[in-house]
Amino acid sequence: MLLQGHQLRDGCVQPGQQRVEIHKLRQGENLILGFSIGGGIDQDPSQNPFSEDKTDKGIYVTRVSEGGPAEIAGLQIGDKIMQVNGWDMTMVTHDQARKRLTKRSEEVVRLLVTRQSLQKAVQQSMLS
Amino acid sequence: MFSRNHRSRVTVARGSALEMEFKRGRFRLSLFSDPPEDTELQRKLDHEIRMREGACKLLAACSQREQALEATKSLLVCNSRILSYMGELQRRKEAQVLGKTGRRPSDSGPPAERSPCRGRVCISDLRIPLMWKDTEYFKNKGDLHRWAVFLLLQLGEHIQDTEMILVDRTLTDISFQSNVLFTEAGPDFELRLELYGACVEEEGALAGAPKRLATKLSSSLGRSSGRRVRASLESAGGSGSSPILLPTPAVGGPRYHLLAHTTLTLAAVQDGFRTHDLTLTSHEENPAWLPLYGSVCCRLVAQPLCMTQPTASGTLRVQQAGELQDWARVHGVLKGTNLFCYRQPEDADTGEEPLFTIAINKETRVRAGELDHAAGQPFTLSISNRYGEDEVTHTLQTESRGALHSWMEALWQLFFDMSQWKQCCDEIMKIETPAPRKPPQVLAKQGSLYHEMAIEPLDDIAAVTDILAQREGTRLETPPPWLAMFTEQPALPTPCSPASVAPAPARTHPMPWGRPRTFSLDAVPPDHSPGASRSVAPLPQQPSPRSRGLFSKGPSRTWLQSPV
Repeated sequence: MLLQGHQLRDGCVQPGQQRVEIHKLRQGENLILGFSIGGGIDQDPSQNPFSEDKTDKGIYVTRVSEGGPAEIAGLQIGDKIMQVNGWDMTMVTHDQARKRLTKRSEEVVRLLVTRQSLQKAVQQSMLS
Repeated sequence: MFSRNHRSRVTVARGSALEMEFKRGRFRLSLFSDPPEDTELQRKLDHEIRMREGACKLLAACSQREQALEATKSLLVCNSRILSYMGELQRRKEAQVLGKTGRRPSDSGPPAERSPCRGRVCISDLRIPLMWKDTEYFKNKGDLHRWAVFLLLQLGEHIQDTEMILVDRTLTDISFQSNVLFTEAGPDFELRLELYGACVEEEGALAGAPKRLATKLSSSLGRSSGRRVRASLESAGGSGSSPILLPTPAVGGPRYHLLAHTTLTLAAVQDGFRTHDLTLTSHEENPAWLPLYGSVCCRLVAQPLCMTQPTASGTLRVQQAGELQDWARVHGVLKGTNLFCYRQPEDADTGEEPLFTIAINKETRVRAGELDHAAGQPFTLSISNRYGEDEVTHTLQTESRGALHSWMEALWQLFFDMSQWKQCCDEIMKIETPAPRKPPQVLAKQGSLYHEMAIEPLDDIAAVTDILAQREGTRLETPPPWLAMFTEQPALPTPCSPASVAPAPARTHPMPWGRPRTFSLDAVPPDHSPGASRSVAPLPQQPSPRSRGLFSKGPSRTWLQSPV
């Protein structure tokens, strides 16, 4: 008889969060990921079409290029980026966020994102 | 066989080899026999003293400013460690003396007070945001004003430092790569974080002039620290240890100033990133002043030993819940928030899956003694957990009264530890072993963003145009006519529509854009309105609304989108 307490196997990922691993694509001199970001603590959050809370100054995915590395890795438009390779993205300026993603020395970025559809599903399952 | 691991204060047993060693005359700081921990501390102290001598010699031999900065940093760290070790030895000596006056036999029964288990505390991914003003940019136009900064972290008597980082106005924040691990922390730990900075360029007034030819350390430490060193040395002087020879620096070396500090405790521990406030201690007149935003972002985790190491193990008979007469014989191992029951003792080591696992957490209830339905079965204890609506109880039988007592003791200790370490006992927080840090190399000039960026004229003009369009809210019907001069390609793709509630068409950036331009210089200070995001304290000096010079004024009304 196996009795376990309520313990998450992977301690770091909360319900409603997703890990996305993007391998950058080389285009000439640049390494690109194939998506666009919006948001930042220096931006006006009320214009964010993807956030539920209009004071949320986090970094959101505003566009995903078709067939690009981000789409292949499973990133979706509207995802909120929480971390990039372990670096926090919830309290950064727009430019800091862009820099975190475009480091030349990194060929792979591991993102931790929250997705509204996932969050809603988790919320609903907790209520039932 | 029952065994229990509980860290207790080691004392020197009578007649042991260690005691003999002391009796042979290796007395150091105390007249009584030194516990082994004190010799360890003494050894560390001697090591730091030697390191310090080396650092002084190195500092004297330095010709380049950057080498001098590294050497001064090493000196500062050594001094801090020496101070703290000496203070700790003093404290222990006093405690020993006090302990001996009210002596009681060392094993007279259970300890009067329960003490929580130790743990490992690790702080990593430290990042301190900076906030450059426009004036800074326009001021030192030609030369790049640079600072050398590092963090000093202290927990108890242990002091560790991060690597030294060169900062200039092209950096948006100071990011330290180091993982700093402290191994002997209690749940009441206080982790003090201090940020020190020094100018890389010679401070004008002191350049070349052998101004402060102090015979003590104060010239490389700063006056107040120097006073502290002298005071503590004087108080410890009578203890018989070899006097610390203080060097005479030839010229006033680089001076590190304390820029900011904060203290983190158990409440700040979380398996994730958090932002904490910094207390800023220097002001603009100080040559080493840096425009700190006022917070530090980091990951502070703690692993109490009770979570990572078994706290008790032994043979148990477990009554399968619901089956009265069926007792299974298992080898139980209490570790973290679980009691693992293995078929055999060897399974625990070989990584075999346990037969079953009983959760032990804050809500678990443990009862000892005879239960009604277990009449005739002595030395039992029961563990109850609630799972939703159901309550599940396991009854365990131990080998003897002594074993029962020991298991109960281990469980009480675990509950105590959980109450002390709080959120650290919900789940084991991961600690990455810090990679051994490379010794500071000769510092190559860190590339600034400007060296990296390939700025093409097209980039500049188009970016400026775009910023203007967004900020001013005007709509550019056509790209400015003069743009055609810089490009053979047709005009820019559809310019961004002014900021509006409807989803703005994403700015597509085909090749003419090349690498997006940095906007760090254009970043406005974060919004300090009450609705703003979590745990950002209002700055001690609120930046006045800045004139943006070329660009528009006021809080940001943009919601930029950038391709990556």
